[in-house]
Amino acid sequence: MSPSNRADDDRLPCGVGVDDLLTQVAEHAHPRDPAHQRSCPHCRAALAALADLWAPVTELAAEDVRAPASLLQEVMAQIRELSRNAWHAVLTDPTGQTRIAARVVGAVARLAAESVPHVSVALGNGRPETRAGQSPSPTEIAGAAGEPATDVGVAGSHVIIDVQIAVDYGVPIAHVAQAVRSRIIEHLVAHTGLTTSEVNVIVIDVLASPPTET
Amino acid sequence: MTREAEPAADHTNPMEEHWVALAAQGNEDAFASLVRAHQDRLYRVALRLVGHPADAQEAVQESLLQAWQHLDGFRGDAKFSTWVTRILINRCHNVLRARKLTVPLPDDPGSDRGLPQAPATEDLAVRAQRRDAVRAAVLSLPFDQRAPLVLTVFGGYTHAETGRILGISETAAKVRAHRGRKTLLSRLQEWR
Repeated sequence: MSPSNRADDDRLPCGVGVDDLLTQVAEHAHPRDPAHQRSCPHCRAALAALADLWAPVTELAAEDVRAPASLLQEVMAQIRELSRNAWHAVLTDPTGQTRIAARVVGAVARLAAESVPHVSVALGNGRPETRAGQSPSPTEIAGAAGEPATDVGVAGSHVIIDVQIAVDYGVPIAHVAQAVRSRIIEHLVAHTGLTTSEVNVIVIDVLASPPTET
Repeated sequence: MTREAEPAADHTNPMEEHWVALAAQGNEDAFASLVRAHQDRLYRVALRLVGHPADAQEAVQESLLQAWQHLDGFRGDAKFSTWVTRILINRCHNVLRARKLTVPLPDDPGSDRGLPQAPATEDLAVRAQRRDAVRAAVLSLPFDQRAPLVLTVFGGYTHAETGRILGISETAAKVRAHRGRKTLLSRLQEWR
């Protein structure tokens, strides 16, 4: 069936719809009534006019348009950059490479932070490390959404950690934050061999200590 | 002709499914194979939709990057080419909205962008001029007609595939593509 709207369909004196002829020309479709079309001067004239009008469209469609050679290179370079910087830490050794998933680094950092007295690691969404001009994407976040909020920006063998913590009420926050920083650096080098270049501690809550029995 | 080497629009390709599965596991070489297989058609569609080669390349690159980043969410209920072309169409739409594209149309029938008065004297230059006029006419179409027209005429997608890409029925894709053709022809006729 022709996709034309019958109410708007221009018709030739012989009753054939111009839309049908246009579909025939543009889609190289078979005529509905080949015998009629062969002998009808109206159809033949209209087909010739439509074919002439449509010819440059066909020529343009037949142009050999190819993607620029740099397109593939650009895409793959960006993908490799993402893979290197957002998903894995890389330890290079003369005998090979060790890639440590960012979520592993994040887990070590979280456990290290939780081992500091008066600290609990808050749950929540973390801040993904993004480059300027990029919008955060779930795939760039170390660890799935809903995991403990330790964010890791990874580049080579150096890592940047953002950790969100809650501390017990009454303890000196700056002192605890410094302890968390030191503990994370120690644990990461001990467990993964990675160098921590920055640990950002975000204190997002303070928790009342459980009442002590007298 | 390059189009023959491109993946058929409506048939699943076991090799492509294999590449998609590997790429979803982070295999960059597999994804590069997907890019190689689809980049020409994607670029051709983008070029006819946005008009400028640099914008088209950027739109394709960003779409492919977005596809890579969200491959884990690609469930295979659509073909990869359908899925990535859908991303590209949205990207091109955003580019055009941001640009508020206004294409200068040849309103003077005697201007050198208009179609020739005497087709009998056509030579290569005139044919090139006619193709330029088609390019401009395509860019002057409203997006809801331009997208199905470009996908079917320049991208080589079937109406069914076009419907899936645009999230509409095959019949709706057919109707919109036909409207686009009619508008295109009337513009070309006006410029004669």
